[in-house]
Amino acid sequence: MLLNRLILGLSTGAFYSLTALGIVVIYKITNVMNFAFGNMAMFMAYVAYTFLTIGFGPVVALFLVLPLAALFGFIVERYTLRPVRHLSHSSMLIITLGILMILEGLSTQIWGTQYKGFPELITGRPFIIRGFSTLLVIRRQDLLVFVILGVVSTLIALLMKYTKIGTAIKAVSEDERTSQLMGINPGKVFSWSWMMGTMLGTTVAILGAPKTYISPTMMLFYQIQGFTAAVLGGFDSFAGAVVGGLALGVVENLIGGYISNELKTSFSLILIIVVLLIKPQGLFGSREIRRV
Amino acid sequence: MLEVKDITVTYGPVVAVKNLSLKVQEKSITVLLGANGSGKTSTLLAIAGLNKISSGEIFLSGERIDTLNAYEIVKRGLTLCPDSKLIFQKMTVLENLKAGAYARKGDIKEDLEEIFKLFPKLKERAKQLAGTLSGGERQMLAIARALMSKPRFLMLDEPSMGLAPNLVKEIMKVIQAIRDRGVTVLLVEQNAYSALKISDFGYVIQTGKIVLQGRSEDLLKDKRIIEGYLGG
Repeated sequence: MLLNRLILGLSTGAFYSLTALGIVVIYKITNVMNFAFGNMAMFMAYVAYTFLTIGFGPVVALFLVLPLAALFGFIVERYTLRPVRHLSHSSMLIITLGILMILEGLSTQIWGTQYKGFPELITGRPFIIRGFSTLLVIRRQDLLVFVILGVVSTLIALLMKYTKIGTAIKAVSEDERTSQLMGINPGKVFSWSWMMGTMLGTTVAILGAPKTYISPTMMLFYQIQGFTAAVLGGFDSFAGAVVGGLALGVVENLIGGYISNELKTSFSLILIIVVLLIKPQGLFGSREIRRV
Repeated sequence: MLEVKDITVTYGPVVAVKNLSLKVQEKSITVLLGANGSGKTSTLLAIAGLNKISSGEIFLSGERIDTLNAYEIVKRGLTLCPDSKLIFQKMTVLENLKAGAYARKGDIKEDLEEIFKLFPKLKERAKQLAGTLSGGERQMLAIARALMSKPRFLMLDEPSMGLAPNLVKEIMKVIQAIRDRGVTVLLVEQNAYSALKISDFGYVIQTGKIVLQGRSEDLLKDKRIIEGYLGG
């Protein structure tokens, strides 16, 4: 029972981690809390659905929609946010809220309000592992989410540690103005972050679509949990986003199993408040380090 | 040669630099002296492309650069070493140095070794977060980071600020060594004596205007410099 709950929790948590990574990658670099994150992903999931309807398989639809998601992220950052970047921070937040509402309305207009089904990317019999007193059932799609989380996390870690892009990301996220003195074009780095973030969100939407169905509100829950995971892990840490998401998924499922299924979200949020009271910067968030 | 022609820099209604002109000859050290708030840093930021000028022109080796972005100017071989507070504090010493080499192509291993020879303390602290360094070490890191871009022209903003006299001497020696490697240096300083001692030419700026200029050895003997800057 406990092992099953843990596995189930990690599987839910992997979705939260990927969502949190998408949110953090944008926030860490551009300092913008992207409230439209979920709806941008939802819109791209509808586009993937359109590819399905014209005869492509779900995997092909995913690979077709990812470059479009990157282009979408680029356009939103370059043409709606960057022009107001040096005016005020709140104007950028309001723009993301505006995009959220526009995309919700637009998707309803184009694809209607009826829920659309989306198949799993990999199908087949689930893996069954026999324990001492319990059966452990792992669905292939859940395993795929883990693999994707592992690959994405590893790629981000390698990118940050060994590449010039990683150095530029760190420099811009710490001091946009000074980074220009290194020859770094911050605008380019902002574009990369929105492209990466939107692709991550789209991946979550498509992986989650078999459970949530495609609808204008499909990403609402994931976005809330993604934000929570990011806060728990520390809003400026990629590792924090991964650990925060997995921890949130596990806690939620353990509370659901042992205390109350109805209260699992409330309890897990209370637990997070407690963690943040003890460690306000989150589990992996950075504190300002200065000599005085 | 770096040539600044009649530039004016304003912050809203405040005029920080007014019709300022100066020239920096290749492979020399030129110093820009002035009190706090006289417009020294505003001038450097304008040359580096971080402050937009409201009038005038700036040329680097004959090419006009005041229309370029700061990151494009770095790629043309002109680097600003800003105040040491502007090192990347959340990054390690090594990461700061790698950031300095961002605009370059090719391997940086040999250059890192060179830098560590020039600043052995930084090698010891390579994996340490820059925010935890002492004042002198930060200053060294700021200069080292700027050198990693392999500039032809280097501008230094008050590298001796807040440092103990023995460290000031050390920093001035490093600046001379940089010039001896063929790098042209524009040095902004309040520490007039140390700066004039190592430089070839000097300008004095007051309320955004150049009020005095000449060869450094002449300026060291100038009554106005002695009274105004050397405590005479």
